[in-house]
Amino acid sequence: MHVHELNPKKTLVTLTLFVIIIIIGLLTLSQPRLVYKMDMKQSVDLALNNQGFVDQTELSDLLKNPRQNTVLIDIRDTYQYGRGHIPGAENISAVELLSEDNLKRIADLDAQGIKVLLYGNTLTEANGPFMALQQIGYYNTQVLIGGYQFYQRLESSKGDSSKQITCVPDQAEFNYAEVAKSSGTITEGDSPTKKPVVIERKKKTNAVAGGC
Amino acid sequence: MNKNYIILMSMLLVLAAGLLLLPEKNNPKQMNPEELMWDIVQPTRYVTTDDVAKSIIEQDPLLMLVDVRPESDFQDFALSGAINLPLEGFASDDTRAELDYPKKNIVFYSNDDLRADQAWVLAKRLGFNNVYVLRGGLNQWIKTIIQPVEPAQTASAEEFSLYTFRKGASLFFTGTKLSTTATTKESVVVTRKKKSSAVAGGC
Repeated sequence: MHVHELNPKKTLVTLTLFVIIIIIGLLTLSQPRLVYKMDMKQSVDLALNNQGFVDQTELSDLLKNPRQNTVLIDIRDTYQYGRGHIPGAENISAVELLSEDNLKRIADLDAQGIKVLLYGNTLTEANGPFMALQQIGYYNTQVLIGGYQFYQRLESSKGDSSKQITCVPDQAEFNYAEVAKSSGTITEGDSPTKKPVVIERKKKTNAVAGGC
Repeated sequence: MNKNYIILMSMLLVLAAGLLLLPEKNNPKQMNPEELMWDIVQPTRYVTTDDVAKSIIEQDPLLMLVDVRPESDFQDFALSGAINLPLEGFASDDTRAELDYPKKNIVFYSNDDLRADQAWVLAKRLGFNNVYVLRGGLNQWIKTIIQPVEPAQTASAEEFSLYTFRKGASLFFTGTKLSTTATTKESVVVTRKKKSSAVAGGC
């Protein structure tokens, strides 16, 4: 190619256009609408510390004196919501939570110092949406321990103070090693389990009764 | 050499360098939050205790059980063949390396299913697609596999065949000799505890 044959003016125009197109391309490059505001370390801490977990006692306080500093959101589908929900809760299903409008609303509520308490049928059901929202920076979101199922159980056992039921997230309801007792006694050579993983058994003082 | 040519070359080089730097900033390995939410609302990540029991018994080579509880709990009791990756370590590269088996079905479990679900969300964000959660965790494992409850007389045939499977699985997992006869079978079932109130599904 004979460079000297190029028309300097034409080259300049082409060059400028080229650069502009590339820059526009870079700026608009698959910029995701939502980005994580927490790094992995923070996300792990969020999970481990049960940060943002609200228990049913706090919920009943909230329902007794609604100071309007918390908005309850039922993340189940409309059908389930229609069959019954916590009084005062709105219904926004999990997927819709990330819509432009709803995110803006959550941010607006945050600006006013209002928390958003999510619940599903169980804690686990609402945990995913809660973690997703927290990780993209909506720190005013909370999640209800025990979910709607446990709320219902509490409601039905109301007035019966002899039965105190509590709900602790991810609690062992059994002493597993004890219950799976006779493991480790396989003597048959042809048995497919080679070595049961159970090695040591600690005696736990009492088996924890299932709460929720 | 022509000046235009040099300018052109340097422009291209600068842009090329810029492109090299860009992907790192966007961290493309992590899953986009929107896609994450779509996956979160799918119930397909849950596997039942029966499925896992079946896989263990059949020695399914694709099954990879991951216990996300603290190490001391894992030492006390774990499902056979499980490895221990406590939730605490999910930010570390080590955990990422341990999970890097794209062909396997990685099933997280914990006492209930909350911790496992949290682990699932974190793993999913890290870009692992082959991850699942044991529905109900070890509590459900005990209630269904180790101490199966006999269905009512009116129950359907499927429920009875499920119960038969679970009874067999219980024998398998509690380590009673598999070849023995009905008399010992009954002795295994006595581990059933009477509970004051029926425990409804976990929280």
